[in-house]
Amino acid sequence: MNTIIQNILVFSALAYAIWYLLRKFGILPKRKKASSKACGGDDGCGCH
Amino acid sequence: MSKQINVALIGNPNTGKTSVFNALTGLNQKVGNYPGITVEKKQGLCKLPRGVKAHIIDLPGTYSLNASSLDENVVIELLLNKNDKDFPDVAVVVSDVENLKRNLLLFTQIKDLEIPTILVINMSDRMRKKGILLDIPLLEKELNTKIALVSTRKREGIDNLKQLIADYRKLSTEPCLKASEIDSVYFDSLKEAFPNQLLYKLWLVITQDVNFGKTDRNEIETINSFKTKSKADLKRLQQKETIKRYQFINNTLKKGQTVDLASATDLRIKLDRILTHKVWGYLIFGVILLTIFQAIYDWAQVPMDLIDRLFVFLSEWTKSALPSGVFTSLLAEGIIPGLGGIVIFIPQIAFLFLFISLLEESGYMSRVVFLMDRIMRRFGLSGKSVVPLISGTACAIPAIMATRNIESWKERLITILVTPFTTCSARLPVYLIIIELVIPEGRFLGLGYQPLTLMLLYIIGFATALVSAWMLDRILKIKKKTFFVVEMPNYKLPLFKNVAITVIEKTKAFVFGAGKIILAISIILWFLASYGPGDDFNNAAEIVSAQSSSKDFSSEELREEIASYKLEHSYIGIAGHAIEPAIRPLGYDWKIGIAIVSSFAAREVFVGTLATIYSVGSGDQETIKSRMAGEVNPILGGPLFNFASGISLLLFYAFAMQCASTLAIVKKETNTWKWPMLQLFIMSGFAYVVALVAYQLLI
Repeated sequence: MNTIIQNILVFSALAYAIWYLLRKFGILPKRKKASSKACGGDDGCGCH
Repeated sequence: MSKQINVALIGNPNTGKTSVFNALTGLNQKVGNYPGITVEKKQGLCKLPRGVKAHIIDLPGTYSLNASSLDENVVIELLLNKNDKDFPDVAVVVSDVENLKRNLLLFTQIKDLEIPTILVINMSDRMRKKGILLDIPLLEKELNTKIALVSTRKREGIDNLKQLIADYRKLSTEPCLKASEIDSVYFDSLKEAFPNQLLYKLWLVITQDVNFGKTDRNEIETINSFKTKSKADLKRLQQKETIKRYQFINNTLKKGQTVDLASATDLRIKLDRILTHKVWGYLIFGVILLTIFQAIYDWAQVPMDLIDRLFVFLSEWTKSALPSGVFTSLLAEGIIPGLGGIVIFIPQIAFLFLFISLLEESGYMSRVVFLMDRIMRRFGLSGKSVVPLISGTACAIPAIMATRNIESWKERLITILVTPFTTCSARLPVYLIIIELVIPEGRFLGLGYQPLTLMLLYIIGFATALVSAWMLDRILKIKKKTFFVVEMPNYKLPLFKNVAITVIEKTKAFVFGAGKIILAISIILWFLASYGPGDDFNNAAEIVSAQSSSKDFSSEELREEIASYKLEHSYIGIAGHAIEPAIRPLGYDWKIGIAIVSSFAAREVFVGTLATIYSVGSGDQETIKSRMAGEVNPILGGPLFNFASGISLLLFYAFAMQCASTLAIVKKETNTWKWPMLQLFIMSGFAYVVALVAYQLLI
């Protein structure tokens, strides 16, 4: 049981690390944040 | 629920705006970026009287609302956009008591946007010394606002400022200059076409090429009833506006300000004469640099040793406290040593930022920029290139972004291309650990060999940047025309709070920025070092036991032999051996090769990578330094990190382009992959050749 949990943790950490680096260096696109009240998206404020 | 208001802190550069921001917010501040652009956004919270809370934004310094750079655009776009969640309920314009005339230009422009505006006159403690007398009630009447006399150094006037902010509804929004005074015919037709809009806002939209509300410049041009002017005519009107504003300011100051030069006691001129002298200036700068590097070494040693031991303890404790297994190994041999490889350098990096911050806060850095301009010109660079080159000592990314204020494209491009040669803080961990391993601890004229080597590396980086700039100036066929203006702020005693906040923020940014990448790379490296293909890796214990049956190994020695054999046949070992032929002539083994390859993502990864690889390969609990010092050259014998290989490594890191984020920002700033790719291949190729020559000569 202990071995299985430890393996799951290791592979999860590995997957997260790879995903983080791919995102950090622009290989995977970053998820866009939801637009805020203004200036975060086209909200008609005219500044985009 | 208490009410929260938005407060925008605006002002010319060097007026002490950030000191006022720090005084209002303390440590309740956060630094981020404006959406979509990389201009720094500082904001914080402040408690005001009557339970009112203020959300304070420290906007980038600007001389006027006539924007010419991205930073200045941020200010004007916020002030024109009422829908912005940060749109200020009240604007606080910070001015310097010695430069009121120039600072009031921005004040009058903001007031004319009909935003409640408070004028802060900062550095009021210097008034007597400078022979300045201000009639505050009269100035308040003339400017139609409230004035706060503030001295952040003496912590005076901040409570009064808080009170004025809380009472912002009482402020008048009457403009200082009626827009129609600029050109009555033009502004009358503008008012006719847009009866519901504020004239001065419309004027800024037309002249600044920015948008507000649902109105933009193109829209204005399509209105038939209104004919906008040619660019030359608009420029002339802008000049007329500036002249009108200065007439208003001059009249106001004539009544409300008296300057008695006879009673002024000014050390500034005397100090400037020495600090910017063509001989003494450089000598003093050299002495200051020497002192800084010596101090970085002498003062940081004790905390560094403590941190190193702490991580060894943490690693041991993890192994003993957690149940044995692969995840415990990942923590003890991957993550903890990897992070230790970066945390250990916090003291030295903090000291470096401390000194840089002291030089900036005192006003000396502007004198250095002025001094360096003389040298820059000879190498085809602008005086403005000094700022990116100096800020490149912290990080090349903001430094490259700082080139945006260089008007000439050729000078800007050259500055972008050569800035990565200056020694950034990410190189520091690599330099520090290698210098400690290969340079003796002796002293020359009271100065240690190690700090001298570090200083030499900084000089090599700067000199290479200049020589490359000189070559690029001759190679690139782009026409240029530029000028250099630098403001010399007054000399000041640095404020402890400002210095402390800068050191904490910069060190935090370095550790957290680099820390996440190092953590991710440590996990991947540990995995690659702990797993491998085929029988050689999986049956390592049997193979080594069989091979060493004739040798009289103790159980500890046998365990180390097995660990070493497994590492060599792990994924990382196989990859390392594949690149070894290319790096062996430089004096490196496959482990250093892996560290170099992984540090192409970010230089600071080098030490963390070696710490992880050596930790997996070693049975003993040792510090990073002792692990590296104990490594043996597999071919020549003797220490792997000797004088020749150490110097070769230092030079490789001085010249190689190893920072993915810098490449990305160069692409963004030049809008093509051509320049970052040229940087990557030329700089790294040059680094390889220099490191090769150095090793072959020294071995």
